[in-house]
Amino acid sequence: MYYFDHSATTPLLPEVSELINDINREIYGNPSSVYSSGRKSRSIIENARNQVANSISANPEQIIFTSGGTESNNHVLWSLLNNNHSHVVSNKIEHPAILKVLHFLSQYGLKYDLVGVMSDGIVSIEEIEKAILPDTSLISLMLANNEIGTIQPIKDVVEIAKKYNVLVHTDAVQCLGKMEVNVLDLGVDFLSLSAHKFYGPKGVGILYAKDPKKLSSLIIGGGQERGLRAGTESISAIAGMGLAAEHCVESLSEKRELLIKLEKKLKSGINKFHKKAIYNGNQSKKLPGLINISFPKNQSNIIMAKLDRDGIAISNGPACGSGDVKPSPVLSEIGLDNQTNLSSLRFSFGSTNTGEEVDYLLNKLELNLTK
Amino acid sequence: MSRVIVGMSGGVDSAVSASVLKEQGYDVEALFMKNWEEDSEYCTAERDYNDALQVCDKLKIPLHAVNFAKEYWENVFEHFLEEYKNGRTPNPDILCNNEIKFKKFLDYAFELGADKIATGHYVRSEEKNGNVKLIKGADRKKDQSYFLHGLNQEQVSNSIFPIGGYVKSEVRKMAEEQGFNNFKKKDSVGICFIGERKMKDFLKEYLPANPGEIITSKGESVGEHDGLMYYTIGQRKGLGVGGGHSDLDAPWYVIEKDLVNNQLIVAQGHNNSALYHKYLKASNLHWILGSPPKRDRFNAKVRYRANDVPCKINDMSNTNISIEFDQACFGIAPGQSIVFYDGEVCLGGAVIDSFSN
Repeated sequence: MYYFDHSATTPLLPEVSELINDINREIYGNPSSVYSSGRKSRSIIENARNQVANSISANPEQIIFTSGGTESNNHVLWSLLNNNHSHVVSNKIEHPAILKVLHFLSQYGLKYDLVGVMSDGIVSIEEIEKAILPDTSLISLMLANNEIGTIQPIKDVVEIAKKYNVLVHTDAVQCLGKMEVNVLDLGVDFLSLSAHKFYGPKGVGILYAKDPKKLSSLIIGGGQERGLRAGTESISAIAGMGLAAEHCVESLSEKRELLIKLEKKLKSGINKFHKKAIYNGNQSKKLPGLINISFPKNQSNIIMAKLDRDGIAISNGPACGSGDVKPSPVLSEIGLDNQTNLSSLRFSFGSTNTGEEVDYLLNKLELNLTK
Repeated sequence: MSRVIVGMSGGVDSAVSASVLKEQGYDVEALFMKNWEEDSEYCTAERDYNDALQVCDKLKIPLHAVNFAKEYWENVFEHFLEEYKNGRTPNPDILCNNEIKFKKFLDYAFELGADKIATGHYVRSEEKNGNVKLIKGADRKKDQSYFLHGLNQEQVSNSIFPIGGYVKSEVRKMAEEQGFNNFKKKDSVGICFIGERKMKDFLKEYLPANPGEIITSKGESVGEHDGLMYYTIGQRKGLGVGGGHSDLDAPWYVIEKDLVNNQLIVAQGHNNSALYHKYLKASNLHWILGSPPKRDRFNAKVRYRANDVPCKINDMSNTNISIEFDQACFGIAPGQSIVFYDGEVCLGGAVIDSFSN
């Protein structure tokens, strides 16, 4: 398979897969039990907590294990219901794991405003500042967009938020292993990650909280995760995430160089045979290796189906449960008309992709695209 | 190897169609169509898609998906509502085949590089001297040629009907042997977008109901109707007209809808001559072979579940036709289609406009 959809999910690193299998085979003690097999499980989990914390320059106490990015986002937003202040500023190109949660929580009194993005897919700081109200308690802004990869100016947002005594959450699930994610440097209060986006297993993620006391529990039950996330831990998944996090920040600049090289190759190849290709979003302030391109006169679902026959995996707009394709709200927000929107493909490279694979992709694209 | 794209609904018929084609050596792919946007309990698109996905996984064939909801709304549903507004009883499934399954779907399949399409309809086709005939399905109870009579030569010749030669019980057995999870899934009945709902509840959401008087053919008032659109000529059930208005103790049937006076006209007894008509006029005439048959006598069905009855052409243009039945025919309803047969062969049809004696 020629896999160019690493923003959707990534394959497990072989050593992560091995670790998960080993743990599943041998370790079954409940991490909350005090006898040796329980302690062993607990120690595995705490080791993973250190690994994940190190990968984002956090302290282990600031890491809460969750079922993934969606739960982490929910955790932050649901916690606001306990607040007297209850206004959130977010943005129109957030993932549904923010937008739909805000909409849902509005029935419980949470208020929110969504600021737009400029045509390059980046928010304007002025707009964010204008949207802050006296009762605003949180700004939630993704670090990088999942469809076009544009990186938001989180540090600047944090500066402004401080002026108004507002907390900042960032959904960073696309970012680990593609850019530096340093919570001290970013200055955010909360940050969400999902293991399967950085070569770890599915169904596990973290919520970073600068001060976990600002959170309330979302999943209620036993005392796991210092009472902030009940439920017996998935030891192997958490351990797998820890190892994956460690690996993906190792020699980050080399990893980025590979992605940048593949991206350049793809773009220069496409420019040779398709002059009308439109590169969506700001091309310099974005994640390396995530490229969203509109090919006017083409239908993305037809192209995808044809490339699928050649073993190529790429993606277009957000697919729903029954598989049909709708115009992407993100691309609409940056000003694409529906037809151009539905001609767009997202390529997202990963650490195992090679230049030869991109050549193969270019060859098949040229064969199947209407120019 | 020629590539066939099967319209995969998640049901047992299209699943078995794909497996039959695969055994015959075709390069088979599947396409799931979503024609209706609704996240209600009645709409089972996601479950159907999951069933289709499992079938394709078993058969190791790709499953594509496409959304024709906009096209369905514009080309089928708006016409469906318009017909009801005009007091007629439309058949959206026929229009869906003409406008969506054998048009949009066909075009889309060609764009995907298909040589032919296939569907799980219970019909057969046969090529002879460059003409392709549409023939009734081998399963008499399941024959769906009535719904496909609006296809043209291009559509029929580009379509394969892999299960047209089987009966439903055989199809279910094949599905079970293949290990398809949907082998017991019940047949879809009625109009796809209405699902399990009562037609009346569905229509209520889209058209204003205008209650009025129910009268007998002699002008006697016998009750109230909920809105003329809810009734079809020949309909017996649900009239809410009790006995006691006549010496006869027989059920009442709708014989006419008077749109001008908003009156529903009823007559008593299934054998009542007011329910039987010897002549009808129809429009939107279509012949599958592209031109009318040489003879002017054949059989016809005036609704899906009706028997074939002998009739002849009294008058015909390119678009309109006047038919005379050998014996007066029951339950002719404007908006429904009359479909013509020469024995097993489906010749074409037209949309019924009026009837008379």
